[in-house]
Amino acid sequence: MTETAVRAGAAVALSGLRKRFGEVRAVDGVDLVISPGEVVALLGPNGAGKSTTVDMLLGLSVPDAGEIRVFGKSPRDAVVAGQISAMLQSGALLDDATVAEVVGLIAALHLKPMPVAQALRQAGIADLAGRRCTKLSGGQKQRVRFALALVCEPDLLVLDEPTVAMDVETRRAFWQQMRAYTDTGRTVLFATHYLDEAEEYADRVVLMRSGRIVADGSVAQVRATVSGRTLRAVVPGAADLDLPGVRAVERRGDQIMLTCSDSDAAVRALLTRYPHAHDIEITALGLEDAFLALTGEDNR
Amino acid sequence: MNTRFLGLELRRAVRNGRYLIFTVVLPSVMFVLFVNLYGDGEGTFPNGLPVTTSLMMNMALFGVMAGPLSIGARIAVERGLGWQRQLRLTPLTGAGYLTTKGALGMLVGLPGILLVCVIGAVEGVRMDAPHWFGVLATLWLGAIPFVLLGIVIGLIATPDGMQAVTGLASMLFGLLGGIWIPADVAPAWLAGIMKALPTFWVKQLTQAPFVSGVDVKQALLVIALWVAGLSVIAVRRYRAQN
Repeated sequence: MTETAVRAGAAVALSGLRKRFGEVRAVDGVDLVISPGEVVALLGPNGAGKSTTVDMLLGLSVPDAGEIRVFGKSPRDAVVAGQISAMLQSGALLDDATVAEVVGLIAALHLKPMPVAQALRQAGIADLAGRRCTKLSGGQKQRVRFALALVCEPDLLVLDEPTVAMDVETRRAFWQQMRAYTDTGRTVLFATHYLDEAEEYADRVVLMRSGRIVADGSVAQVRATVSGRTLRAVVPGAADLDLPGVRAVERRGDQIMLTCSDSDAAVRALLTRYPHAHDIEITALGLEDAFLALTGEDNR
Repeated sequence: MNTRFLGLELRRAVRNGRYLIFTVVLPSVMFVLFVNLYGDGEGTFPNGLPVTTSLMMNMALFGVMAGPLSIGARIAVERGLGWQRQLRLTPLTGAGYLTTKGALGMLVGLPGILLVCVIGAVEGVRMDAPHWFGVLATLWLGAIPFVLLGIVIGLIATPDGMQAVTGLASMLFGLLGGIWIPADVAPAWLAGIMKALPTFWVKQLTQAPFVSGVDVKQALLVIALWVAGLSVIAVRRYRAQN
């Protein structure tokens, strides 16, 4: 398929997207195409531009430059058609209303909603229907927000830090429900801080830094952009660790950690020079290492 | 306008104990208090209006202001919560949002006015049916500028500053509007300010059938200017935020 054809059939097509707040270029030229059915994780450190990008995608803020198409429509038209919806990070619930009332209201405002009971069931909160929103835990509130996002039966679901207030168990349950939803062929874009969530649930990872996309691909591909492995070993009396294939050396007493571009060459040279080296462990770099390597400049 | 939206908003307003006390009950309590303060209610003001009738209109007017202003306060809180963002992910338009809030303000103001008038009848206010209807209708329609004022405050103030702004507004529009002190006894400069406020003119309109010398044209003009001005501010403010 040509690029135009891909864009025409895309769930999301962002091109040349820019947004600045005063002197800060929050989003600085983002191009992104997401095909229907993809589950995409949007990663990046705080201030990378994730939330700003999500806001523009939802039509909640207007870009300074660039174009946004959601199923070929403007964000607002896609919202009106019920094709895109979102679980907002700071999305509030009305303190003086019940769960069923809040979800019922949002359903009533949509043109073709699913039954409220079904939305509550899919979000796993059927038992909370009559509960006032003030009486909910953080994780329960997140699930109500999930129900609010589901109720219009969107083709594209955008989740901004969906599991941030959840404990480990609730997170797992949430993603199980999420998976049940994505199995029906829906498109999902979720911004997250938790790399393990991206690794486990996303087909594709988009990494942002300073308002730009710095990596985009499958988890394996993104991992591979930071090639190399880590070699750990205990080397009594190691003096010179200037070995072939080693990029960086870290040591704590007899323990050494070598970041290698060629771990095979490094381990051979290490054993030749220090035959007493033991407890050798070689691991591939994880998504977290890739993440740190690709986004690290911000933290320095 | 979405009736489900309005329905839920109404239910939330009624559920709020503070609403019931301040906007429905308080005007009537003040009314009873004042009637007893001014004696047996047999007296008549220089303009020919019986004291009880005049007090009834003033306290109903107080209710007309209080209800809509409380609705504005809720807009500020909802803004602070991020609820408006949630609503913007639905087909609800800005016009739909503002008209629903406006209709809500009008509905919320009604019980307080009705209650004051019922107590007025009990306390001895006598007028024929068309006049009762006229007074009620004028008071209720007189709520329009205050509904808009509530919305404007709700769109401008922060949730924290809301209480102070609402208090200031009801002070300004109540005290200077002639609810608590009549414009006749105010010095000229103060009377000038009072006559620029919608409160004064809504009261004038309410009294119009019973006293002579009410400038209905000017009353309608001043109120219309407030309605137009506040509408423009509300719409611009809403657009600027979204």
